[in-house]
Amino acid sequence: MRIRQLLIIASSVLLLSSMIWAQAGAKPAAGQSLSVAVSSASPDSLLNGGPAAWNQIAVKRVALNRTPPLYDTDEPATLEIQSVDVRTARTGGKLLVELSWRDPTRDAIALADVPDTPPETRFRKVQTEADDRFFDAAAVMFPAKTDSGAIAPSLQMGDAEHPVEIYYWNATRGAMLMQAQGRGTTRRTGQNFPVNSTYQNGQWNVIFELPDLPAGTTVAFAVWNGSQKDRDGRKYFSVWQALE
Amino acid sequence: MSKHQYAMVMDLNKCLGCQTCTIACKKLWTDRDGTGYMYWNNVETRPGLGYPRQWDRIGGGWKDGSLQPSPLPTMDDYGHAWEYNYERRLYEGKKQPVMPSPEPKSGVNWDEDVGGMNEDENYFFYLPRICNHCTHPACLEACPRKAIYKREEDGIVVIDQDRCQGYRYCIKACPYKKIYFNEVTGKSEKCIFCYPRLEKGQVNACAAQCPGRLRFVGLLDDPESPVHKLVLVHKIALPLFPEKGTQPNVFYVPPFNPPKRGNYGSSIQDGPRVPLDYLIYLFGPDVKDVITRLEAELKKTQEGGRSEALQLLIGRDAETRFHVRPQLVQIQL
Ligand code: SF4
Ligand code: SF4
Repeated sequence: MRIRQLLIIASSVLLLSSMIWAQAGAKPAAGQSLSVAVSSASPDSLLNGGPAAWNQIAVKRVALNRTPPLYDTDEPATLEIQSVDVRTARTGGKLLVELSWRDPTRDAIALADVPDTPPETRFRKVQTEADDRFFDAAAVMFPAKTDSGAIAPSLQMGDAEHPVEIYYWNATRGAMLMQAQGRGTTRRTGQNFPVNSTYQNGQWNVIFELPDLPAGTTVAFAVWNGSQKDRDGRKYFSVWQALE
Repeated sequence: MSKHQYAMVMDLNKCLGCQTCTIACKKLWTDRDGTGYMYWNNVETRPGLGYPRQWDRIGGGWKDGSLQPSPLPTMDDYGHAWEYNYERRLYEGKKQPVMPSPEPKSGVNWDEDVGGMNEDENYFFYLPRICNHCTHPACLEACPRKAIYKREEDGIVVIDQDRCQGYRYCIKACPYKKIYFNEVTGKSEKCIFCYPRLEKGQVNACAAQCPGRLRFVGLLDDPESPVHKLVLVHKIALPLFPEKGTQPNVFYVPPFNPPKRGNYGSSIQDGPRVPLDYLIYLFGPDVKDVITRLEAELKKTQEGGRSEALQLLIGRDAETRFHVRPQLVQIQL
């Protein structure tokens, strides 16, 4: 194929993904729903009980899209992670969401322990080891107001009238609960939430413990690939899925 | 546009390369966890690699109104922190030399005093660098979180540590590589132009400590300030890499008369020791006019006259060099 044709195809893919990205206030289309298992297992056993606890729960493969580049000079990003496998279960007043996806590189480090003593009292300080590393991460986003009808907020972190909650997990820095009201407004609440992550045979498996969400709530997923220098809006994202 | 703009002028003819400024800054601001490799103020030998090495060659800044992000420098470019095995030698009595580990391969001012050759003569000078608190900051524009802002009252560019998420677009965008990532906090940090000192009427630590007395500080828009006079009246100070488009507010008096051997007294433009091309590379084509002006001032004094510009550059006392005006930049709360 000639380069010109390739470019046209590449740009239409980009255009398409930016159209998906920009969609706001849309209802999830048919087929974009997630069945939620009602489990008799405790939240803790689903979170920490290993794969056996999830055996009976159906998997849905959710397609991932790539956000368009922020700058035209950005390193091009290929669609290395095409989908995420999702399982959800309700139990004990919690909603557990398991995300698993293939990622051949595990981008995570163990951060050095920072001593409790103030740095000025110590001869040795903790050093920055690498300034150019980014880490694998994943997130579950849902509307902060679950009673605001069936309209899903903008995928770009909601807007002023439709704030969103983001349960964010980072392979190096752990779980962080965030809130946002539109692109660029995401802020850490300082709270975290129970999460369990494992990486095995080129596969991440991350279980999020969320508060229970009523049927019909829309949720969306995001995955960041550290080795693709993903962070911020440079990531993989799904469209909204309605919880059954 | 900010209401006022703090600026600094550094006279490169006077820099000793003593690094007192670097240490003043480090002890005051970057003596914390994760900040070991951060030099909000660094002094590098020119020509040379710079810190991080090759920062001036990798990109950043603006071109035709759009950002030109560079790759992120790596720790190899900054140099990995090393330690010495003092314990083994001093306390355990092992008869080994005290060696650094890991083996140092790069670091701040790594190629100190190497410089370059101009035909058969070596030449170099020192270039002290801080964030330029640009009028058109590429770092600010690049941040998708709007964590970077330019203070309305005095033009100082700072990173809001609560908003920063450590995405490092700012580092890629800054053509001077004056933002550093702190792995411990997961956030980026930069020179704050010592605004907490300025607000109390104290000049920046680097400028206060400089034994070469080559740093001038004041508001660019204050006609009484030395920076206003040097940059806008005498027109003898220039920003670094003006073509990067960020409009820096740190200005340099270029090295203007280091004579070549046997050439003392003749013009730098006529057999200069520091090749003019190299100065044009750093400060743009205007450097020629600046050197011409400086030489004319020098000639004036050599002939018994008085040069306001050179008197100012001598910078005899702190009152001459620094015009800190906290009352002028106060925000009305
Ligand atoms: S020198 Fe760099 S960090 Fe400082 S204001 Fe300019 S662009 Fe931003
Ligand atoms: S303290 Fe002054 S003379 Fe010493 S290196 Fe810094 S700028 Fe140069």
